[in-house]
Formats: sequence, structure tokens, C-alpha cells
Amino acid sequence: MIAPMSEGTALLLVILLGFLPTEVWRTLAVIAGRRVEEGSAVFHWVRAVATALLAAVIARLLFAPAGALAEVPLALRLGAVAAGVMGFLLVRRSVFAGVVVGEIVLIGGAYFLHV
Amino acid sequence: MNAPPSLHHAHHAPPVYFFQGMRKAVSVPALVLFASYLGFGAVLHGVGFPLGAGVASTLLVWALPAQLILIGGLAAGTALPAIALAVGLSSMRLLPMVVSVAPYMRGPRRSLFWELVCAHFVAMTVWLEGLRMLPHLPGEARVPFTLGLGLSLIGVSCLGTVAGYTVAGEVPGWVAAGLLLLTPLSFTVLMVRNAVSATDWLALAAGLILMPLTLHLEGGLDLMISGIGGGTLAFIGGRLLERRR
Repeated sequence: MIAPMSEGTALLLVILLGFLPTEVWRTLAVIAGRRVEEGSAVFHWVRAVATALLAAVIARLLFAPAGALAEVPLALRLGAVAAGVMGFLLVRRSVFAGVVVGEIVLIGGAYFLHV
Repeated sequence: MNAPPSLHHAHHAPPVYFFQGMRKAVSVPALVLFASYLGFGAVLHGVGFPLGAGVASTLLVWALPAQLILIGGLAAGTALPAIALAVGLSSMRLLPMVVSVAPYMRGPRRSLFWELVCAHFVAMTVWLEGLRMLPHLPGEARVPFTLGLGLSLIGVSCLGTVAGYTVAGEVPGWVAAGLLLLTPLSFTVLMVRNAVSATDWLALAAGLILMPLTLHLEGGLDLMISGIGGGTLAFIGGRLLERRR
């Protein structure tokens, strides 16, 4: 629990501890990236790093999950995501179909396992 | 990304592109954002953080991992400079994202102000959707389109935050597990859809494979190794494959 605080104090904390440390990277990227043209080697490297970073964040959510998802066995978590990708590829490359298939596998499995 | 040149040269006023961006925001990723922020709203309620400032964090920070670190840190009584540092480390991943999508978020006339405004919307969803849709738009459409898309997605997420705070808790474990899977599941599918070049596939695989191997390293080192290391390996691998052809 957080000690009771006013909206004003909370907003100040959001700006100082949340907004500034996040926005500084977006601002730096615009200033440093203004000279990066699409199609250049730097552009391709940066895109590869961004893709790998996002994949890593996703992997962390799957391998070290929080809350109720941690109660679900790792094999079921990975199986649900694999099923989702299969669903996407098989059903006209539909993101919606992929998400629905993955969710059915996970929720069905979790319900069956009494999570 | 092999961006085909824009085929349609019909010119519209900026509001037309703004509304096009808003329309494109009605999508599966928007549903996922709503659900993810539903969870964030429930967390706010759980730790007793004021709702108004919580919604402001969605609008101003616009990066869910950073917001969760902020609220979690405050709830755990972590020293304020340590919270700021942790948030900063977690948001570092936005830098390469913004650098790679920024060339598509510029109009024919470069404006630092609008580049900074557009960059604010960049987080996972706008990065993925922007890389997919923006290259096909004519130059003058890109800024208003990004504004329409970004503002709508932030709006949906603010609604999710309020809704989650209001209904907070009381869902059974299997429903909660399903909600928590939405983010990794949908982003995996979106990344598979967005993967075009060999480098894209290699980067996707490198991040997914290196992360579990580096999971137990301290202080954000896992993200640095799998992200920067894995991405660099993918970049080199992709270049070598291209040269062979």
C-alpha cells in the first residue's frame, strides 16, 4: 500500500519519476536520429536492435510472468503462444484469429488445471 | 523494410489523414491495450494510488512497463532516485524504436516540434503499427495520421485504466491468467506479421532465445544482452545472408 497522498503530489511523482526518465529517450532518439535516413545501414541495425529488445521483453513476460500467469505451467504458456502463431498463419494471417486461438488454449488449459 | 513507394497520389487535407489514423486505431492491438490497462487500473486501485495521477501516467509516460515499475516501486517504498533510474533503464528500449520509426513520422517539411510530438506516441503498439502502415502513406499524411492513431490508442488506454480501477479485482485466476497472456501473445503474433527480411526473423529469434538464457542476470543486463547483443548478431547475420544472394 502507498501512504495516502493528494492527486497533486501523485502527479508530481508521475512527472519526475515516470514521464521525465521515459521521455528523455524519445527526445534523444529524435535529436540523434534526425540524420538517420530510412534504408541506411544504421537504420537497419537500429531496427534489428529494437526488434530483438521487444522480443526479449515478450520472452521475459512468458518465462518469468507475474500474478496468475505464474500459476500456469511454462509448457502451457509457450504452447498457447505457439498455437496463436499457428492460428495466425493458418487463418488468413488474421491477428484476431491468432489471439483468439492462443487465448482459448491458455484459458482452457488453466481452467482444466484449476488455476 | 522494403517499403513500396506510395501508389495513390490523391492529396487530402490533414484532418482527413488524422481521421484515417483514428479509424486504423480500431483494431486488435487497441483491444489488447484496453485489456492491459484494465490490469494497470486494477493495480492502481490495489495499492491505493490516486486515479487522476494514474490516468495522467498513461497519458504522459505511455509505456506500461515503466508505469508498472513506477507504481510498484512507490508501493514497495523504494527510494525515489532508484525508481527514476529503474524507469529510465526500462524505457531505454524506446530509443532504437523511435530512431527506426522516426523517418516515417516526418512530413515533407521537417519540424522538430512535430517530430517530438509524434515520438511521444511511440511505444510497442505505435512502433509496430507505424512501421507497418506509415511507409505506404504519402509524406504529408504521416504526421496527422500518427497523431490520430496515437491519440486514439492513448484514449482507449486511459479508458481501460479508469475501468480497471473501477471494477478492480474479483476475477477468477484463469481469467486473470488470460488477461496477463494478452500482451506477450498479441505482440508475438504482431511481430511475426511484421517480419519481412531475414534480419527481422533473426532479431525476433535472437531476442526470444537469448532472454531465457540471461534471465537470472542482475540489473537489466538480460535486456542489454538479448536486445543489443541479439539485435547486432541478427544485423550481421542478415548482411551475410544478403551478400550470398
